[in-house]
Amino acid sequence: MLYKEVIMAIRVNPRLIDDLERFGAEDVQFCYHCGDCSTVCFHSDQMYRFPRKSMRFLQMGLGRKIETTLEPWLCYYCGQCSEQCPREADPGETMMSLRRWLISRYDITGIARLFFKSLTTEILAVIGVAVLTGAFLLYYGLSQGNFSIYDGEGAFLPSHFIHSFDLLVGACLAVFLLINAVRMWFFVMVRGTSFPVPWWLYLKKLYLMVWHFFSQRRYAECKSTRPTKIFMPWIVHLGLMLGYIIMLVLVMVFIEKLQSGPRIDWSVHIFGYLASVGLIIGTIYFIRKRISRKNYVQYKKSHSTDWVFVILLFMIVLTGICQHIFHRTGLNELANGTYIIHLMAVVPWLLRMPFSKWSHLVYRPLAMYFAEIRRDALERQDAVLPSYSY
Amino acid sequence: MRNGVFFCQVEDGKNLNVDAIAKYAANLPGVEIVQNLGLKPHLKASLLADLILANSLTRIVIAGDMPGYYKPVFTKAMALAGCNTDEVRLASFKEHGATGEIALDRAKATVACANMGVPFALVAIPTGNPVNHSTLVIGGGIAGIQASLEIANAGKQVYLVEQTGTIGGHMAMFDKTFPTLDCAACILTPKMVSVVQHEMIRLLTCSDVTEVSGNPGSYRVRIRQRPRRIDVDSCVACGICSDVCPVKVDSEFDSKITKRKAVYIPFPQAVPNAYLIDEASCTYILSNGIKCGVCAKKCPKECINLAETETFLDLEVGNIIIATGYELLDVQKIEQYGYGKYPNVLTSIEFERLTNASGCTGGRIVTKTKLFNRKSQQEEWVFVPEGVPPRSVAILHCVGSRNNKYNAYCSRVCCMYSLKFAHLIKEKIPDVKCYEFYIDMRAFGKGYEEFADRIRHEGTFVVRGHSASVEMVNDQMTVKGEDIINDRMVEFKVDMVILAVGLIPSAGTEEISKMLEITRDSDGWFSELDYNGNPTDTERGGIYVAGMCQGPKDIPDTVAQASAVAAGVLRSITSGRGIGHLSSVSLSEIEDRAKTIHAV
Ligand SMILES: Cc1cc2nc3c(=O)[nH]c(=O)nc-3n(C[C@H](O)[C@H](O)[C@H](O)COP(=O)(O)OP(=O)(O)OC[C@H]3O[C@@H](n4cnc5c(N)ncnc54)[C@H](O)[C@@H]3O)c2cc1C
Ligand code: SF4
Ligand code: SF4
Repeated sequence: MLYKEVIMAIRVNPRLIDDLERFGAEDVQFCYHCGDCSTVCFHSDQMYRFPRKSMRFLQMGLGRKIETTLEPWLCYYCGQCSEQCPREADPGETMMSLRRWLISRYDITGIARLFFKSLTTEILAVIGVAVLTGAFLLYYGLSQGNFSIYDGEGAFLPSHFIHSFDLLVGACLAVFLLINAVRMWFFVMVRGTSFPVPWWLYLKKLYLMVWHFFSQRRYAECKSTRPTKIFMPWIVHLGLMLGYIIMLVLVMVFIEKLQSGPRIDWSVHIFGYLASVGLIIGTIYFIRKRISRKNYVQYKKSHSTDWVFVILLFMIVLTGICQHIFHRTGLNELANGTYIIHLMAVVPWLLRMPFSKWSHLVYRPLAMYFAEIRRDALERQDAVLPSYSY
Repeated sequence: MRNGVFFCQVEDGKNLNVDAIAKYAANLPGVEIVQNLGLKPHLKASLLADLILANSLTRIVIAGDMPGYYKPVFTKAMALAGCNTDEVRLASFKEHGATGEIALDRAKATVACANMGVPFALVAIPTGNPVNHSTLVIGGGIAGIQASLEIANAGKQVYLVEQTGTIGGHMAMFDKTFPTLDCAACILTPKMVSVVQHEMIRLLTCSDVTEVSGNPGSYRVRIRQRPRRIDVDSCVACGICSDVCPVKVDSEFDSKITKRKAVYIPFPQAVPNAYLIDEASCTYILSNGIKCGVCAKKCPKECINLAETETFLDLEVGNIIIATGYELLDVQKIEQYGYGKYPNVLTSIEFERLTNASGCTGGRIVTKTKLFNRKSQQEEWVFVPEGVPPRSVAILHCVGSRNNKYNAYCSRVCCMYSLKFAHLIKEKIPDVKCYEFYIDMRAFGKGYEEFADRIRHEGTFVVRGHSASVEMVNDQMTVKGEDIINDRMVEFKVDMVILAVGLIPSAGTEEISKMLEITRDSDGWFSELDYNGNPTDTERGGIYVAGMCQGPKDIPDTVAQASAVAAGVLRSITSGRGIGHLSSVSLSEIEDRAKTIHAV
């Protein structure tokens, strides 16, 4: 077992740094391994030491090794390391780029890689999916319903149909994410773990995944001397994420209630309103931060794909709200029209998730979960990790 | 002769236009073809040979900043073409001073010379101004002392200008020097004494240069002598004045870890061995002669004149040597190390003073003790001889060096003196734990690597990895870092932290560079004429750089450079040819001279 990892790690890809440059990290080669970054990093510890070590693996071209590490997911990009780095090698941005790179490695289809490397491809794909969705819905609606009826008998897009449609899209999403998660598990827990991991540890630590998913505690833990207190980005991030999840649940499970009206059904709509507020505030906050980048190391170089997400999300929230208002005020034709636009944005946005940065929603909690399992397993073990002394 | 001129200059410099030089070259006698190669990495000798045969060339001129790079391939091509391989001539722009305003003319001149097969150096000797035989040395550190002694020993007059009250510079502060662990004072003090006793050296302490005019060979210099207020010749350094002086201020020589009086001697072996009065703190001077003045009354030799004023001295010198040395970067601006915040975080020079046998603790290494100062009614952290020795010490390398935010360059000596510190600490406190945090160990000199090994074997824990910060938790300092070789994070509790602070040019450097019209490099050190070929001259004839002021270096290198400078000065005095400004020789002069030499 021990040899296995060593042998795998020997494969060297001399172009790894150049490759990573396309994912955002441009200055990896400047690093001279002082270790300042690992020292200031609040999340770095004995077992998971970063970012310096990741910088080293990159410089050595050990892509197959990095693939099996969890460190990039344990970093929340508070930017301390990049501020400290004497060589301006930007380790924080490197970790961010590594997360993008890892997403593309976990992704079995290769789509993620394509998107990260070429914005044009991504935009074309998004537009393509949107047009297909629009065309399908229009065809379906016109063939069986009436454009001026929003719900009930003869509705243009009846809610039971939308429900099945949502479930279908949701299933696609789940399948992709599941496959990627399994690949991640394989890379990290099988190829990257040279010591045995008892199966029951997976059960014992399961709560961690849920906990990290809903609390994002580690984000809040970042101590930082940045101009705003760190809990602000954390709360906003949490709000954004919860909004996202609530909406997903509403749409997947309660869509029929959501769509009935024009009366407002507080039992579901209240959640919809709250989530919308969360999403709007979150989105605006992040857009503002990305535009006024001055003080924030972590927003200095937002990747172009980040913008696709933000723009789509904004469209979704906007058309969702409009459609809701039009419906309640009896403007059924307008409501149906905006609904189609809404869905044209929702579908590519959801389907894009497994191939974009936003899949960290799944990978991050998984990483915390795996990290703790490995830590526990190692402690139970006399075997020592083969130590890399670079 | 049928000549081919090949340019291997990639970029046009600010003042250097390759096309213009190429046009000029095309009109030179014998030139058949002119080609610009740019910087093609792999020229084929066979193709070049074809070119040579096609044009039946007999001489090749390669021109550019580094023409030597192409010499092998052209030599081969000449051989293939059956020509004389000695006829590959180089016209090296930068090497022959093609920079600044004269760049274009100078480059043309190098091409013209190479084209005629005349060595450039032979024709470009400037006609010299007659040289005044006295020399000015600015800065009395080991560099200034060495250069002065060499020149004076050759029988030539030297004026040594030092801004503080004593010569010796930084070396006088040290206890031991790496890697031999020789006693610094044992090497330096005899030299210092020779300076003051030498009949050919006029030592001017408390002085600085205020104006310089004139040309190479005859510079007129104005020197301001600040009042010392104590007659150097009659003072016997009994110290009675200091005993009675009521004023206490930080001692510069002790790097502010101790106090001195307003009338003081920097250190007991100071040269000249006389007290001086600090006008910035003396009560008598600050109160315009109303208060105090007690020292003048008590001096048994009556050599104190509190009313002395500054004087000016005008000198004529032929050569000027700059040896103004260095100082430490202000560490307080690198906040994470807690310098100024935690009492036992020291700079390297502070530690040198602490461990010095003639320092405030008699060479005992102790941590600071908290004492109540009755005068200021405040608690202070001070070094006292009976203080508690540290149980563990961390030495951090590269503080502000090799760091893009502060000094991008390596300060060169800190790795070695940090190892020296580790040795001294281990030697004086045997059961101490000593940690060195380094990024790369720069043991660059003779015997240095061995020295580094020795320290490792003495039990100092040398951590390959930098420490990012020093923290204080419950009155205990901790130093954290990544131990890269052992693949783990380390955290040590320490009682003392020594920072190997980066070095910067001394404060007056900018002023001097303006006054003498010589340039500084991007890091602020004085620029030498040519780093490889001429590291002691500057672009102005008759002005030289020695020691740390030209760039970080250790004492052996400093001394070597100072002696080399002295050789340059003596050459200009004794050769009879005088010194000229290399850049004052014009293109037409060079062409004419080249033609005469060629004809011969
Ligand atoms: C902590 C420490 C430890 C070191 N230990 C060692 C060691 O063990 N071995 C070793 O080889 N090297 C050591 N070095 C390096 C050594 O100090 C230098 O190589 C050497 O001192 C350089 O001498 P210098 O004469 O060029 O400069 P300096 O010693 O700095 O002398 C410059 C002199 O010029 C004077 N001056 C400055 N500006 C003016 C002005 N405008 N007008 C008139 N006078 C002026 C200054 O007052 C000073 O007297 C150490 C350095 C440090 C920082
Ligand atoms: S990334 Fe920067 S701070 Fe981190 S080890 Fe490299 S040089 Fe040091
Ligand atoms: S000499 Fe050593 S400690 Fe000093 S700057 Fe260079 S590498 Fe750093």
